[in-house]
Amino acid sequence: MKRFRGIGAIALAGVAALALAGCQQGSASGGGGEGDGPITLEFQSLSDQPTTQAAVKEIVDQWNTDNPDVQVSIVQGGWDGAYDKLITQFTGGTAPDIIHFEASSIVSFAQDGYLADLNDLVAPDLKSDISQGIWDSVTQDGKIIAYPSTLQSYMVFANADLLAQAGVEVPSGDSMTWDQFEEIAKATTTPEHYGVGWGLKSPTATVMSMALGFDGGFFEGGGADASIDVGDGELAVPGRIHDMAYADKSIDPTSLTQSGSDVLASFYGGKVAMTVQGSFQATNMAKDAPEGLNWVALPPIAGTAGAVQAANPQTYSINVDSPHVQESADFLNFFMSGDNLAKIAYADALIPSSGEARAAVEKLAGDDQAWKQVLASGEGLEGPPFLKVSKYQEWKDTVATPALQQYLADQISKDQLATQLTDGWADVNG
Amino acid sequence: MTVIDTPAAPTPSKKPAKRIGARVRAQRKEAIALVIPALLPIIVFSAIPLISGVALGFTDATLARNAETNFVGLDNFVALGGDTRFWGSFGIGLVWAGSVAGLTLISAMGLALLLNSDLKLKSLTRILALIPWAMPPVVIAIVWRMIYNPNSGPLNGTLEFFGIPGVNWLGDFSTALPAVIVVGVWSGIPQTTVLLLAGMQSIAPEQHEAAAVDGAGAVRRFWHVTLPALRPVIIAVTALDFIWQFNSFGLIYVLTEGGPGGQTMIPPLFTYLEAFRNREIGYASAMGNVLVLAILVILSVYLVNQFRQNRKVRA
Repeated sequence: MKRFRGIGAIALAGVAALALAGCQQGSASGGGGEGDGPITLEFQSLSDQPTTQAAVKEIVDQWNTDNPDVQVSIVQGGWDGAYDKLITQFTGGTAPDIIHFEASSIVSFAQDGYLADLNDLVAPDLKSDISQGIWDSVTQDGKIIAYPSTLQSYMVFANADLLAQAGVEVPSGDSMTWDQFEEIAKATTTPEHYGVGWGLKSPTATVMSMALGFDGGFFEGGGADASIDVGDGELAVPGRIHDMAYADKSIDPTSLTQSGSDVLASFYGGKVAMTVQGSFQATNMAKDAPEGLNWVALPPIAGTAGAVQAANPQTYSINVDSPHVQESADFLNFFMSGDNLAKIAYADALIPSSGEARAAVEKLAGDDQAWKQVLASGEGLEGPPFLKVSKYQEWKDTVATPALQQYLADQISKDQLATQLTDGWADVNG
Repeated sequence: MTVIDTPAAPTPSKKPAKRIGARVRAQRKEAIALVIPALLPIIVFSAIPLISGVALGFTDATLARNAETNFVGLDNFVALGGDTRFWGSFGIGLVWAGSVAGLTLISAMGLALLLNSDLKLKSLTRILALIPWAMPPVVIAIVWRMIYNPNSGPLNGTLEFFGIPGVNWLGDFSTALPAVIVVGVWSGIPQTTVLLLAGMQSIAPEQHEAAAVDGAGAVRRFWHVTLPALRPVIIAVTALDFIWQFNSFGLIYVLTEGGPGGQTMIPPLFTYLEAFRNREIGYASAMGNVLVLAILVILSVYLVNQFRQNRKVRA
């Protein structure tokens, strides 16, 4: 009996050890870095548009040819569920060496200590070529946690034929005020179609970004001591969207519960005259828009504080547990060089962070109408206060998103929205 | 383990006990050796994770790198007691699991009765009825998201064909939870149908014949013969459905992600957000513990009630 118990215990321990060993395999930089052979860096890229994937692959292939000792292998991911994937990878110790993500979401991984400090690793030329405001958006407690690569702005795309039908001229100026936008929306709303389709299934990012146009910063201070202030400036954007949907009836209320790409289908089908989308959709439109759809990009929307939006760049970070932090930084310095970054930004219809890359993109873009507006909207990008706030991600997912969804579905009043956002912050940060 | 106990039982006197004891011991060894390989995966993949999950609920564990984990006693549970968002989600979970289990039973009963009657192409219809069972929850959710699509879905297309304005099924606050419940029922029907059908086929046809001879119509035969005979199956199936649905995750995660505005935020989704968005794995484990306890309490009330009724019937 005793002997058998002993055997059982040994067998149990053996199985447990095997299982644990299994979990350990495939940690950062799976390609053996111990020997003399070339080291392999895992690069998890989220770029999911085919043209961008091709651009990333081209750059990586170039690097691999030039550097036989440091090979980079691309692990293709997607934006959907990227956060969940990364948190599992980091916790399980299987995160890749180089991590592609975006500033507002990568912050929490920096707080948890998973990202390498890049202060001494970023190439000096690159550092001085990117504005301090953008560096601020990827700086956490004095540490640079990521290379900021490309930035997205929200743009209005319009069906020029439907605008002409309604007798509206395509606005030209440097920017377009919210009032102008609302008027065009009203003018183009007919019994057959709405003026605007706006995919606000996840409304927080859009609202937080565009609120800067009304000086609506939401947060004061940073870290764990940040305080929230929801006033007129903060409520201006959701308030205007709400009134357009329910007072003017110029926004399709169904679209407010859909994703951006769902609404794009309505735009292609001529069911809405305008749609507000991330600038990257310009690439998709150029590729997918049905023959004969005469689409144009309108000037950036300006609030009382100008055409300001949040700079929330895409980022490339390095896993602090990677055995090859230096090599990863070398690769990223190459990856972020002017021409390479320009290729990626151009493929994605996003605004590159560095001056050199922006000049290169301007050259690539030439006279393209949509690109002119994309670059114009890039002028107004500012580092938003929320990137400094420790519990922003938590507040966004559990408080702001449901509260804004309720308000945009006309379920609660503006005052209730303000109360929910403020009290929710007290709950989350308390 | 019962296998081991049976031969040990007859030990009438002391002297033979020793001889038999040696044999019994050998048999026990054999039994243990046979049981261990089967038991190991259960211990490694079920028991250990379960115990560590329960234990995590009493700590302040987070998902941070090299995080220090401290034992905090009941702090998590005290905080949970005052967490109105969690209890709101708990309420939604009860509505969801209760209505899915109830409606599944009713629909599956109808389908089982239909399949049990002498229809043509019986084997074909039985196979057709099983199809939702063969589909993974994520696929079911994606299919239904297409059906519910407010712009291009076939459901709204049909409504609009008859001149009824379309509904934003998953986006509207009043229809989101009912729409999700319908999907839950649809995916749960086959399993329940099969179990009910098996139960119906075990009822002796003589009972039905006897009732028919006594002049009972179809409805009365169902009420007085089929239903009482099916009772244990119904209890077991509904209880299991309730537990499964209360813990279901994939279906709603893909359909609505808990939206709009938290209308379909069932407890497993809420716990998931706490664990992986907020990285508070200790607090999230405490939620998990509370959910397990809640299910146990609800089920024990239900089962005790059933046993009492059974005893009354027998007495």
